[in-house]
Amino acid sequence: MRLVAVGISHRSAPVELRESVDFSRGGLDRALTALAATQLAREAVVVSTCNRAEIYATAVSDAAAPACARFIADYHGVPWDTIAPHVFMLHGADAARHLFRVAAGLDSLVVGEPQILGQVKDAFAAASGLKHAGALTTRLFNTAFTVGKRVRSETGLGEGAVSVSFAAIALARKIFGNLTGLNVLILGAGEMAALTGVHLKAQQVRQITITSRTLATAEALATELGGRAVPWSSLGQALTAADIVVTATGAAEPVLSRRAIEEAMRPRRSRALFIIDIALPRDVEAAAGQVDQVFLYNIDDLQSIVQENLARRAAELEHAERIVAEELARFAAWMQSREIIPTVIALRQRFETIRRAELQRLEPKLAALPPDARARVDEITHLIVEKLLLTPTERLKAINDETQAVNYADAVNKLFSLAAEDTAPAAPEPRPQTAGKEKA
Amino acid sequence: MTRLAWLPFALYAAAAVAYLAHFWRRSPAVGRAATALLGGAVLAHTFLIGMQTMDAGYAPLVGTTAAVSAFVWLLGLAYLYVELTTDERAMGAFVTVLLAALSILPALNPQMDPRPALLRSPLFTIHVLSMLFAYASFALAFVLGITYVLLFKEIRAKQLGFFYARLPSLQTLDAMNGRAIVVGWLFLTCGLAVGGIWATQIHSVPDPRVQAMGLADPKILVALLSWAMYSFALFARRAIGWSGRRAAYLSAIGFIIVLLNFVPVGYFLTRSHNF
Repeated sequence: MRLVAVGISHRSAPVELRESVDFSRGGLDRALTALAATQLAREAVVVSTCNRAEIYATAVSDAAAPACARFIADYHGVPWDTIAPHVFMLHGADAARHLFRVAAGLDSLVVGEPQILGQVKDAFAAASGLKHAGALTTRLFNTAFTVGKRVRSETGLGEGAVSVSFAAIALARKIFGNLTGLNVLILGAGEMAALTGVHLKAQQVRQITITSRTLATAEALATELGGRAVPWSSLGQALTAADIVVTATGAAEPVLSRRAIEEAMRPRRSRALFIIDIALPRDVEAAAGQVDQVFLYNIDDLQSIVQENLARRAAELEHAERIVAEELARFAAWMQSREIIPTVIALRQRFETIRRAELQRLEPKLAALPPDARARVDEITHLIVEKLLLTPTERLKAINDETQAVNYADAVNKLFSLAAEDTAPAAPEPRPQTAGKEKA
Repeated sequence: MTRLAWLPFALYAAAAVAYLAHFWRRSPAVGRAATALLGGAVLAHTFLIGMQTMDAGYAPLVGTTAAVSAFVWLLGLAYLYVELTTDERAMGAFVTVLLAALSILPALNPQMDPRPALLRSPLFTIHVLSMLFAYASFALAFVLGITYVLLFKEIRAKQLGFFYARLPSLQTLDAMNGRAIVVGWLFLTCGLAVGGIWATQIHSVPDPRVQAMGLADPKILVALLSWAMYSFALFARRAIGWSGRRAAYLSAIGFIIVLLNFVPVGYFLTRSHNF
């Protein structure tokens, strides 16, 4: 059985093309059912995110790979020539390595992002639910989940925010813990203010207050964010009530002076104030950051945090790749043993059957011999068979390349006419694990 | 018994190494091993205290060394409780280092002091246990305060690094610090009150140590000073809003007073508490 992976990803195709082959649009179940109807593959899992559309399948021959690639085009009604230059096709251990890297976030646009593991789990759950996942894909995906979990817990690959908004939110969490009870004040009602407001709203803060020199624009944004607008003249009070202040006005001069902050802090006692100044030029006087219990971060500060986090993630890449390699070695050995071990067993059984048949045939002649001489004959024939098989057995077991293993197994099966049922996997298959039950 | 006396120290030290390694490397497996080692240390310590109690017929609370041992045991227990209820291991690195350092004293001198007839009162036991539990709470508050300041400084300096990645939020550290101070203050107040009552009860005993029990004795004076300190910390947090960094500094100063009173004053200076 051959494992193949075909598809297109952000590495190989532009966004318009990826959009045109998005399997999740019509639902993964429909795609899986259509793929099963083509009978191209014995097992199949479709992974579809905004950055990739990939099929992991097992088939009797490598020819399944181009056929599955064509399926991607046909299913979406995209001309084959359009997507052909962007399609990747991988076989055996290479296909497995690709999935493991995807699950670990190593192949993501933002390296280390954690959502992909959940998406891979969903993909497998869908295939598993429709009984399109078999022993090989189940083992493959379970190993991919292990890789994803190990990379997340053993490396710092997913740590540290890599966008300015998330860096700001991560900082707010480090200061306040939970953001749910907090009051947010936004100064300005432009695009940046709106964007940050959306991010903060997603954190379920208690209240978002917006103030702007033009009350009407503040009111418009307040309606959009489900917050309230206050006139610029009540900025002082709003500051005192706020826990997080986002400043994003277009003012040429700072709108918040150190004195204004000091005054706002006085009635607050020691309650911390986190000011995020994302305006350019800056909205908050730098000296305001020295006021007790005030944490002032401007856009440059946040950007340098993002840069540091990116650098730190890059430093963890090697470690993550090592984990992928470890798990891949284990998986490849298992996959190869699926191909080779049954062949080895069948080969040995065939030789043993021949030996016994010959002894049986010679039975009338051997009957005259004394019992210990007969035992010697039995022993010698057994030894001859063992000696004949020793080198081929060792050589077959030593193959560590999956493609080679398949070729050798094929050759041995054909040369010795080993029956197909003899080569069925001897080891019990791992029970399919339902990914839906796992934490995404 | 002498050899057994080293076992808690060895386990506390091993736990400290594991907690430091966990703090440094953040490996979950090392973290679990650290908790297991600390659990083992507290168990071994419990066993040792049990053996000593069985041997002597009374709890080993007489003398500074025994008190240090009981303090280490209570702090270990209190920390384990906090860790298991908050699932937060970062503080362990600081607490276990303190535990390992202090547990050298009882390991070096495991002999139990004979209990004078004077100390047979249950009030004495309540007094000592309350005081020790208060000290354990203050030790936790101290560690929380230190870590608060370390994290605060990193965030203020915009150098998000070592502590930023390892410590819980400032708000969590501050809230836990506040709770530890309240618990500690309650036990300290109880311990001081019971101690005072007991001292008046035995006032007529012609023992020089009993006669020395008064405000002039450094141990009692410094204990009252620490009570004043923590009362102020409580008042400041509630009435004038001194939380965060100020509360952290207060809990650090408070615990330094407690530690000074516990070890140097307890060993060398007191005339009333040298049983």
